[in-house]
Amino acid sequence: MAAPRIPNLNTLRRGRGRGRGGLRGVDDNGTRTTGKDRVVQGTDNDASVSRLSAVELGYLDDPYATALTDPGNATRRLPIINRGTYVRTTAIDQLVAQFLGPYSPDATHKKQIISLGAGSDTRVFRLLASRQPSDLVYHELDFAVNTTAKIHAIRSTPRLQKALGIDSSSQDVTVSEAGDSLHSSSYHIHPLDLRSLSSSTSPEILPSVDTTLPTLLISECCLIYLLPTEAVEVVSFFTERLFPPTTPLGLILYEPIRPDDAFGRTMVSNLATRGIQLQTLHKYATLKAQRTRLHEQGFVSGQAVADIEFLWERWVGEQEKERVSRLEMLDEMEEWQLLARHYCIAWGWRDDAAAFQGWTMLQAQPGDV
Amino acid sequence: MSDLDRAIEQLRACRLIPESQVRELCYKARELLIEEGNVVSVDAPVTICGDIHGQFHDLMELFRVGGDVPDTNYLFMGDFVDRGFYSLESFLLLLCLKVRYPDRMTLIRGNHESRQITTVYGFYDECIRKYGSANVWRYCCEVFDYLALGAIVLGASSELEPTGSGMNDTTQSTMPIDDGELETEVLNSRGEVTMSTYRQRQRAASDISTDTQNISPPRDISSGSTQTGPPIRNGVPGTGASGDGNGSLATSRTGAVLCVHGGLSPLIDSVDKIRLIDRKQEVPHEGAMCDLLWSDPDEIEGWGLSPRGAGFLFGGDIVKSFNHLNGLSLVARAHQLVMEGYKEMFDGGIVTVWSAPNYCYRCGNVAAILELGEDANNGGTVSRSNGEYGRSNGVGELNTVVSPGRRYRVFEAAAQDTRGMPAKKPVADYFL
Repeated sequence: MAAPRIPNLNTLRRGRGRGRGGLRGVDDNGTRTTGKDRVVQGTDNDASVSRLSAVELGYLDDPYATALTDPGNATRRLPIINRGTYVRTTAIDQLVAQFLGPYSPDATHKKQIISLGAGSDTRVFRLLASRQPSDLVYHELDFAVNTTAKIHAIRSTPRLQKALGIDSSSQDVTVSEAGDSLHSSSYHIHPLDLRSLSSSTSPEILPSVDTTLPTLLISECCLIYLLPTEAVEVVSFFTERLFPPTTPLGLILYEPIRPDDAFGRTMVSNLATRGIQLQTLHKYATLKAQRTRLHEQGFVSGQAVADIEFLWERWVGEQEKERVSRLEMLDEMEEWQLLARHYCIAWGWRDDAAAFQGWTMLQAQPGDV
Repeated sequence: MSDLDRAIEQLRACRLIPESQVRELCYKARELLIEEGNVVSVDAPVTICGDIHGQFHDLMELFRVGGDVPDTNYLFMGDFVDRGFYSLESFLLLLCLKVRYPDRMTLIRGNHESRQITTVYGFYDECIRKYGSANVWRYCCEVFDYLALGAIVLGASSELEPTGSGMNDTTQSTMPIDDGELETEVLNSRGEVTMSTYRQRQRAASDISTDTQNISPPRDISSGSTQTGPPIRNGVPGTGASGDGNGSLATSRTGAVLCVHGGLSPLIDSVDKIRLIDRKQEVPHEGAMCDLLWSDPDEIEGWGLSPRGAGFLFGGDIVKSFNHLNGLSLVARAHQLVMEGYKEMFDGGIVTVWSAPNYCYRCGNVAAILELGEDANNGGTVSRSNGEYGRSNGVGELNTVVSPGRRYRVFEAAAQDTRGMPAKKPVADYFL
């Protein structure tokens, strides 16, 4: 038996071309921007392309997805990716909705959301469009290259302005000369490297944040790119320095977990070939480690976590599950379970004012795995 | 060298053949496949393979580990295309080999061999990208419609010849239990035995039933064996290790093995019913043909709804009675990713074989192929009337069929440097 001939290297075709982040290289004025940072900035493109795919196939209803995704990058994702995007988005939507409570224009119920590494996320448009006049203030933090692209999209898309309740002539809106920051009554975009928060002593680094409002921090695949110490410092900036201890604070994390099994090891090595390092992955490798992390970072009133598979099984109603299952034939049940077990949502809160009471009703995943 | 041999050479090098040649190949394949029944009869020895999914370089690794065609007699249980980046190269090579060596290559249909599924999972896009039109996709889909729905393996030996014995006297073989026969053996890709199980040698048909068991793969297959001596190139893959028969007190009566991509159907209680299906069509959304390609075994009783949205789940009781009624000793199927490459369930009544290592370049799993040896006691003649063992003899000792000896060869994804993967390997999607 002869071993088959080794295929000719030169004739091998490349796999499908991966869209380059359309935003990359637009603006590099951040002095600390390194090659690695650009790779992290580019991950936003993955997320927005996945979102658009899920929207176009009917998983999600999001009229703003098109405006915030480079049309040249639009790609149909695999069914398991679409389902994962759906579960991630709707689960965080539920947590956000429980935090905000029913819409109320009464100023005493006002709440605040701060999204870390928000990128091209559409949540702010979906929320503000349905809550006018606004009963919340929404802040987004990201690298200037990403905020500039987003502000450009807002300026050129009336639909986005309408959702925010602003128009380009409005005096309510201020955009910086560089086009990388935006401030309006209920929406603020801050161009900054999260790592600068840890060294900052001035609260002016985040203008317009109201430190008295019950506030929800969101990190969707963001803190995981920082060094473990940096990630801790970023959260501590909010919990210990920016907000007084009496202000109710909550944190939602969405991140990969379980790097130590065969799937996890492959994930780490595949992402490494793209230059992506999930730097806190091993420190917060399990559901239990994520719960402990939340407690240690001061979210002492409650900590909960669930992987994406659990959230699909328990948080999505039977009827909705049936609807979603019908959208595409999902043949890869085993692969879906593998993938979905390697991502989790963790949520924790500190709260003397019942601002996070809605979260106590939500079902978390038991166990220490 | 014939055009066909040239095409095989070219495809082995992962180079595509011209569209006109694909058209001709598909035409020839169809002529061949139309003559096959829904359930193809295959004589042991045979090497049974699960899903490939366009992972061409891993298919080459499979041939390296399992032996080349036509030296090894292969049975592929479908899902040649979709997901991987080389569905065309993989399927066209298998098809060429089928046309060139029709008696040494059996291809049955998987649920991905379908127009509808290939438009979602990549094969259609790959055809457009590589040939510039949907023509080749159309030719291939026409071939899909003619693929058999299952296969019956006859004449498999109940006992494996221990790997390496007779090949190399210095080989330390595992210590068999007294008077036991080697029932299963697991080998890594270097040909080292990592696990073996024995069953008591058959004295009477009534003694054997207690010895069957589920074989669980060892946790770390790549760690090598603690049971064997130095690594050597063991055995001749695919030639099947047949028992020499000298020690057998009773003539082995190994039941037939049914091979199907997915599993059983509530509409099918006998192998003969599969033969009655009009298969030459796109895979339907429901019904017996759909179930055979879509169903999964599960730890339930009876039948259950499948989360895949097609086919059913079926429990151990279903498998047991189906095997009993049809004189089968084993159902071999593919369709489900199993991290260790193979998984036996229900007292060894069914096995899942998965042959796509590191599936989708993401899952981190190993792959396996299953070798069934030839029963030398049969003297080369095997019963053609499968499914008749039990029924024709009523209740009696012949109803108790012995499961075949099973040799699993486990292998990992092709090493990229040696198998010519692109320098930058394809990147799987994650949530970022």
